[in-house]
Amino acid sequence: MDLLIANLVHGFGVALSLDNLLFALLGAFIGTAIGVLPGIGPVATISLLLPITFGQPATTAIIMLAGIYYGAQYGGSTTAILLNLPGEVSAVVTTLEGYKMARNGRAGAALAIAAIGSFFAGSVATILVAASGPLLTEVALSFGPADYFSLMLLGLIISAVLAQGSVVKSVGMVVFGVALGLVGTDVQTGQQRFTFGVPELSDGLNFAAIAMGVFGIAEIILNLERPEVREVLTTKVGSMFLTKEEWKRATPSVLRGTLIGSALGILPGGGASLASFGSYMMERKMSKGRNEFGTGAIEGVAGPEAANNAAAQTSFIPLLTLGIPSNAVMALMVGALIIQGIQPGPRMVEAQPDLFWGLICSMWLGNLMLLIINLPMIGMWVKLLQVPYKYMYPAILSFCAIGVYSINNNVFDVYQTVFFAILGYAFAKLKMEPAPLLVGFVLGPMMEEHLRRAMLLSRGDPIVFIERPISAVLLAIAALALGLMLLPALRKKKEAAMAG
Amino acid sequence: MRINAKDFWSGVLLLTLAAVGLWLNLDHTLGSARRMGPGYMPMLTFWLLLGLGAIVLGISFVSGSDPLEKWAKLDFVTLFVGIGVTLGAYPIIAAVPGLANNWYPLGIALMLGLGVMAVSPGWRKLALILAAMTVFGILLDQGGLMLALTALIIVSAFAEPKHRPLGVLGMIVFLLVLCWWVFIYELDIRVNVWPMF
Repeated sequence: MDLLIANLVHGFGVALSLDNLLFALLGAFIGTAIGVLPGIGPVATISLLLPITFGQPATTAIIMLAGIYYGAQYGGSTTAILLNLPGEVSAVVTTLEGYKMARNGRAGAALAIAAIGSFFAGSVATILVAASGPLLTEVALSFGPADYFSLMLLGLIISAVLAQGSVVKSVGMVVFGVALGLVGTDVQTGQQRFTFGVPELSDGLNFAAIAMGVFGIAEIILNLERPEVREVLTTKVGSMFLTKEEWKRATPSVLRGTLIGSALGILPGGGASLASFGSYMMERKMSKGRNEFGTGAIEGVAGPEAANNAAAQTSFIPLLTLGIPSNAVMALMVGALIIQGIQPGPRMVEAQPDLFWGLICSMWLGNLMLLIINLPMIGMWVKLLQVPYKYMYPAILSFCAIGVYSINNNVFDVYQTVFFAILGYAFAKLKMEPAPLLVGFVLGPMMEEHLRRAMLLSRGDPIVFIERPISAVLLAIAALALGLMLLPALRKKKEAAMAG
Repeated sequence: MRINAKDFWSGVLLLTLAAVGLWLNLDHTLGSARRMGPGYMPMLTFWLLLGLGAIVLGISFVSGSDPLEKWAKLDFVTLFVGIGVTLGAYPIIAAVPGLANNWYPLGIALMLGLGVMAVSPGWRKLALILAAMTVFGILLDQGGLMLALTALIIVSAFAEPKHRPLGVLGMIVFLLVLCWWVFIYELDIRVNVWPMF
C-alpha cells in the first residue's frame, strides 16, 4: 500500500510536468473533437497523429495518445444526446435514452450525468490499473515462451470472437494480419521474406500506413459515398443540474456501469464499445427505471457512459502489464511504443516507471480536464458539428499524407497507404472487420518469436503448450470462446447485443 | 439458390492471399519444428488462412443472400483497364532515364490507373481521393511540401461535387498555413518546403 502511494506520488510528479500536462490536455481536446465529429474515430486519429509523437519523449507521446482514446468517449456522448448522432461506436446506445431525454427537455441533465459518470468511472478504473498493474506484472514474469504464445493466441481469438459480424471471417482477418506481419527480415536468420527485393520492406510493412489506409482513408471514401445527414440542433440544453430523484436513479447505474466496464475493458478483444453495450443490456434488465426505457431513462445514459470510459482505461492493463494489445487502439499504442524503442511487456513497469505511473496519473488528470472541457464548453463542440465534411476531409487527407511520409521520409510509405486504402475499401464492401487485422499484425511477429523459442526449449515437441498449466488454461479458454460462438443460440445473442 | 456474395468474395480474397503466400514461401527454408526456419511460421499462417478461406467460401452458400453493391458495366471495364494501365505503365516509366528513382514509376503508374478508374462514376470518389495521395507522393520531393499539398487538396476537392472554387482556394490557404505551422515550424520534419529545380 505504501509502495502504491509512493508510486502514485512519483507518477503525479511525472504527469504534472508542464509538457505532459499540456499534451494530456491536447490529447483530451483532440479526442473530444473527434468524438463529437462522426466519421472519424480514435483509431484513425491516433494513427494519423502517430508520426507527430515521434519527436516527443515516449511518456509524453503515450499520454497524448491515451488522452485521445478516452477523450473520444466523452465527446461521443455529446452528439449522441443532442443530435441522436453517435460520434463513436461506443456512443450508439447513448442515443437510445440520451436523445429521448433531450427531447424531454433534460438534455443538460443527460450531458451532466454522462460527464460525471464518466469521470467517476475513469477515476475508479485508474485506481484499478494502478493496483493491478504491478500484481499482474509479477504473474507475467513467471510466464515462459509457451505461455506467452498461448496468451497471444487467446487475445487474437477473443478479439475475433467479439468483433462484429461473422466469427470465421474475423478469425480470417486476424490471420490475414499475422500474414502481413510476416513481411520483412526474419529476425533469427536475417533472410528477407516477402519483400520482393524492395529495400523499404525489409523492416516490414509500415504500421502507420496500414492503420491510416485501412481506417483513415478508406473511411473518408466511404463517408463521401454516403449522403451527408446532419441535423441542425433543435433542442435546448437546459439546466445541467440533476434533480434529487435523478441522482437517486443514476447513482447505482453509474456504479454498475463502472464495474462491468472495468471488467470488459480488461478482456482481450474488449474495449469501450463492448462495455457500453454490455452495460445498456444490464440496465435494461436490472435498473429500477427499466420500465421507462425507451422514453428517456437516465439509467440508460449513466450506465453505458460510465462503462465505456471505465473500459477505455482498463483496456490499458493487458498492454501495460503483459504487452498484449486487447483492441485496435491498443495495437496502435504498441506500435507507438515500439517506434519509441520500448518493447511492451511485463518488464515495462520496472524499466519504465515514469511511463507506467505517469500514464496512470495523467489518465486521472485527463479525466478531470475532460469534465471541464466538456460541461461548460458544450456550445463550442456543437458548433464544431456545423463544419461541413467537405472542408474536413481534405484536412484529414493532408495530415495523413504528411504524417506517413515523415516517418521514414520516403514517398514509398505514401503509396503503401494508397494500397492499404484500397484494401480497406474492399474490406468494407465485403463486410470484413478490419480491427482484428491490426491486432494480428502487431501480435504476429511476437507470436512467431515465442513459438520458436518455446519449440526450441521443448525440442520440437508441441506438447509443451498443454503441459505447462498456465498455457493449458489459456488455450482451454481460447477453445471455449471459439466453441461457444459456434453455437447458434449464443451467436444470435451476440448479434442482438452488437446491434444495440 | 442465392449465395452470400460478400462472404463468397471474402473467401476468394483469403484463398488467393493464402495461395500466393504459400507459393512465395517455397523460396524459404522450412526447418524443423525444433529449429524453425524462416519459412515455418509463414507455412503455418498461410495453411491456416487457406483453411479459413475455404470455410468462409463454404459458409457463403448457406448464410443467406447478401448481394454486393450494384456496379455498372463501365465500372468493371475501368477497373480492369485501370489495373492493366498501372501494371503496363510501370516498366515503361521505369525504363525512362531520370524517372527511375524515388518511386516515380510506381507513383505515375498508379496515377494513370486511378485516372482511368475516375472516369466511371462508381469509382470516382475512391479514385480521386487516392489520386490526391498519389500526386502528393509524386510532387513532394522535387516540388516541395507547398506544391504537393496544393495539388492534393485540388485533386481531392473534385471528389465532392459540392465544392466551389472560392471555398477550395480558402481551404488551400488555410491548410498550407496550418501544415506549415504544425509540421515545419513546430515539428521541423525533414522535407523540402518550396520547389527545387
